[in-house]
Amino acid sequence: MLALQILANGLMLGGLYACIAAGFSLVWGVLNVINILHGSLIVLGAYLAFFAYTLWGVHPFASIAVAAALFFALGYLIQSTMINRVIAAPVLITLTLTFGLDLMLSNAMIVAFRADFRKLTLDPPLGSVALGSVVMPVDRLLAMVLALALTGLLYLLLARSRIGRAIVAVRMDREAAALMGVDVKRIYAITFGLGALMAGAAGPLLAMIFPISPITGPVYLGKAFVVCVLGGLGSVPAVIVGGIVLGVVESFAALWFGPEHAVTVSFALLIVLLLFRPTGLLGKKGYE
Amino acid sequence: MKEAFGAALAAIGMTVGMMFASGAAAQDVIRIGAPLPITGPLAPEAVKQQRGYDLWAELVNKAGGVKVGDKRHKVEIVYMDYQSNTPRAVQGAEKLITQDKVQFLFAPFGSGATKAASSVAERYQVPMIAVTASSEQVYDQGYKYLFGTFTPNQTLTEPISDIVRKRVPAAKRVAILARNDLFPLAIAQELEKSAKKRGLDVVYFEKYAIGTLDHASALSQIKAQSPDWIFATGYTNDLVLMRKQMADLKVEAQVVTMIAAPAYQEFIDATGKLAENISSASWWHPAVRYKGKDIFGTTENFVKLFEAKYKSTPDYVEASAAVSGALFQMAIERAGTLDRAKVRDELAKFNDVTFWGPVKFGSTGQINSLEPPVFQIQGGKPTVVHPSAIAQGELKLGVK
Repeated sequence: MLALQILANGLMLGGLYACIAAGFSLVWGVLNVINILHGSLIVLGAYLAFFAYTLWGVHPFASIAVAAALFFALGYLIQSTMINRVIAAPVLITLTLTFGLDLMLSNAMIVAFRADFRKLTLDPPLGSVALGSVVMPVDRLLAMVLALALTGLLYLLLARSRIGRAIVAVRMDREAAALMGVDVKRIYAITFGLGALMAGAAGPLLAMIFPISPITGPVYLGKAFVVCVLGGLGSVPAVIVGGIVLGVVESFAALWFGPEHAVTVSFALLIVLLLFRPTGLLGKKGYE
Repeated sequence: MKEAFGAALAAIGMTVGMMFASGAAAQDVIRIGAPLPITGPLAPEAVKQQRGYDLWAELVNKAGGVKVGDKRHKVEIVYMDYQSNTPRAVQGAEKLITQDKVQFLFAPFGSGATKAASSVAERYQVPMIAVTASSEQVYDQGYKYLFGTFTPNQTLTEPISDIVRKRVPAAKRVAILARNDLFPLAIAQELEKSAKKRGLDVVYFEKYAIGTLDHASALSQIKAQSPDWIFATGYTNDLVLMRKQMADLKVEAQVVTMIAAPAYQEFIDATGKLAENISSASWWHPAVRYKGKDIFGTTENFVKLFEAKYKSTPDYVEASAAVSGALFQMAIERAGTLDRAKVRDELAKFNDVTFWGPVKFGSTGQINSLEPPVFQIQGGKPTVVHPSAIAQGELKLGVK
C-alpha cells in the first residue's frame, strides 16, 4: 500500500519536474543554448502569481495566461537584442551570457522582493483527493495535468504549425532552412520566447506548491538540467519521460535508501544512463 | 573666469579636507567587523543579523556613542560579504582585522562558519561574539576570545520533551525528520536522546538533503508509522514545504514540533492556518520579559524599537545580533578602554541581565545562564508555554 502511495507521489513530482524542464529543453535542443536564466524566470513567474493573488486576489491559474504572454515577449526581447549577437559562438559564450543575465535577475529580485521565503497559500486550500488509501494533493494533480497540457501544446505547435515546422527545420539544418527562406534569427527569438513562456507558466503553478524566494532559481535549474539529460534533447515527449522517471526514482530511492539519498541515487542512475545511452532515454542523435 | 573657478575649487577642496581632518580628530570611531552571507543561499540569515547590528549601532550613535573613559566613540559596523561560502568567511574575518582595521568582530552565520572564523579571531586576539552558534563543538577549542549567545542544543530539546511527556502521557511513538545540515541534524540527534531518556520509541529517524524539493516519500513513511509526536528540523523553506505536504498527505499527530522555522514570522505568514498548534523552541522570543541593564533596557523596549524601524517583529537571530552589540558596548564601557585584552576580560566576567535574558559566559565562552523558551502557534500567534515564569498558555494537542 505504501508503495502505491510512493508511486503516486513520484508521478506527481515527475509532472512538476517536466513542467520545470520543458522550456529549458526546447531552448537547449533548438538553439544549443544552455539557458542558465531559466530557473530565475520560473521564480519571477512565481512572484507574479504571488503578488497577483495577495494584492488583487487573482487566482494563480489566471496568472498563468498573463505570465505566459509577458514572458514570451520578455524572452523574444532577450534573444533578439542579446543572445542573437553571440548565437554562432561556442556554447560556452552563450552559457556565460545567460549566466550573467541570471546573476542580474536573481540579485534584482533579492533587492526588489527580499530574500526571505514567501508562500502562495490558497484560501480555501485545494485539498487532497483519496483513491483508496492513496492520497493525492489536488494542486499537484492540476499542476501535473497542466504541465502535460502545456508540453502537449508545445508538441502540437512544433509538429503542426508553420512556425513550429520552421523551428524544427532550423534545428535540423540552419543553413538549409535559411536557404528555404526561413528567417533564422526570428525563429531563434520565437523559440527563446517560447522557452521563457514555459518558465513563466510554470512559475504560478509552482508557487502554489513550493515556497518562493529568489534563491530557489538554481534548484529549479538543476532539476531542469537532470530532466533534459535523462530524457534526452530534441523531442518534447522526452521531457515528460525524463521528468517522470526522475520523480519516480527519487521517490522510491527515498523509501528504500532514506530521503537523504534520493538525489544521490538519481544522479548515480544518470551516470549509468549516460554510459549506455548518451543521448538520454528518448533523445535523438546529434542533440547530445 | 577660469582662474576664479579654479580658486573656488581649491577653496572648496581645502574646506572639505579640513572638515575631514577635524572630524577624525574630534570623533573617534569603534569599528566592528561583521562577515555575513549577504549573497547566496544563506542571504535571508544575513539580513536578520544585519538588522540587529544596525538597530544597535543606530541607537548607540543617536545617544552619542559608546563611552570609553571620558570620551564618546561612534560605532561603525564594517560588513563583508562571504557569499555563503565558509572558507571565504575565514578570509573575510582576516581581511576585516588586517586591512579594514576593525577592533572587534561579530562571528559569521551558524556554528560551522563561526568555528572556522574563530581561529582567525583567536590568532589576532580579537574578541568575537558568536550570534548564531549553539553547537558545543564550536566552543571546545580552548579559545579565549570567543563568546556566544546561544546555549547548547539540548537546552532546546529537554524542556519540550518534558512537556510532551506530561501533556500526552500515552505518547509512545516519535518520528524525527531532519535536514542533513550541521545545526538541524545536531538538534534532531539531541531530541532523539531526550526522547529515549523519557522512554519514548523513536520509530522513524531520517535525514533529508539540503535543497530537497519533495518530502512526500518521507512523510508517507512517517504516516505509516502513526507517530504521536513528529519532530522536524530545517530552515524556513524546508519546513514551509513540509508542513504543506503534511496537510496534502493527511499526516497528523498529537504534537508536531518544528525547529527553527516557527520562530520566524515568515513561517506563520507562509503556512497560514497550517501553522496552528505547531510547537517549537528557540533561544529567545519577543514574548519573553526581561529588565536589562543594556542600552535597550527591557525586552518590550527592544521589540518596540525594532518594530518601529523594520515594521516586523524581531526573531531570536535579530535579537541575538542586537544583544551582541550591546554586550560589546557594556564590556568596552566597563573596561574604559578599547584594549582588546581588557574588553575580552570584561566579557569573560560579565554577569548581568539584558533584554535577551541573563547573560553569563561559561569557561568555554558559551552562554550558560539562559533558559530558552518553548512556544506554540496558537490563533496565528506564538504563545510561550515554557518556562513557567513567563508562560502565556499550555501546550495544545492535535495537529491536522
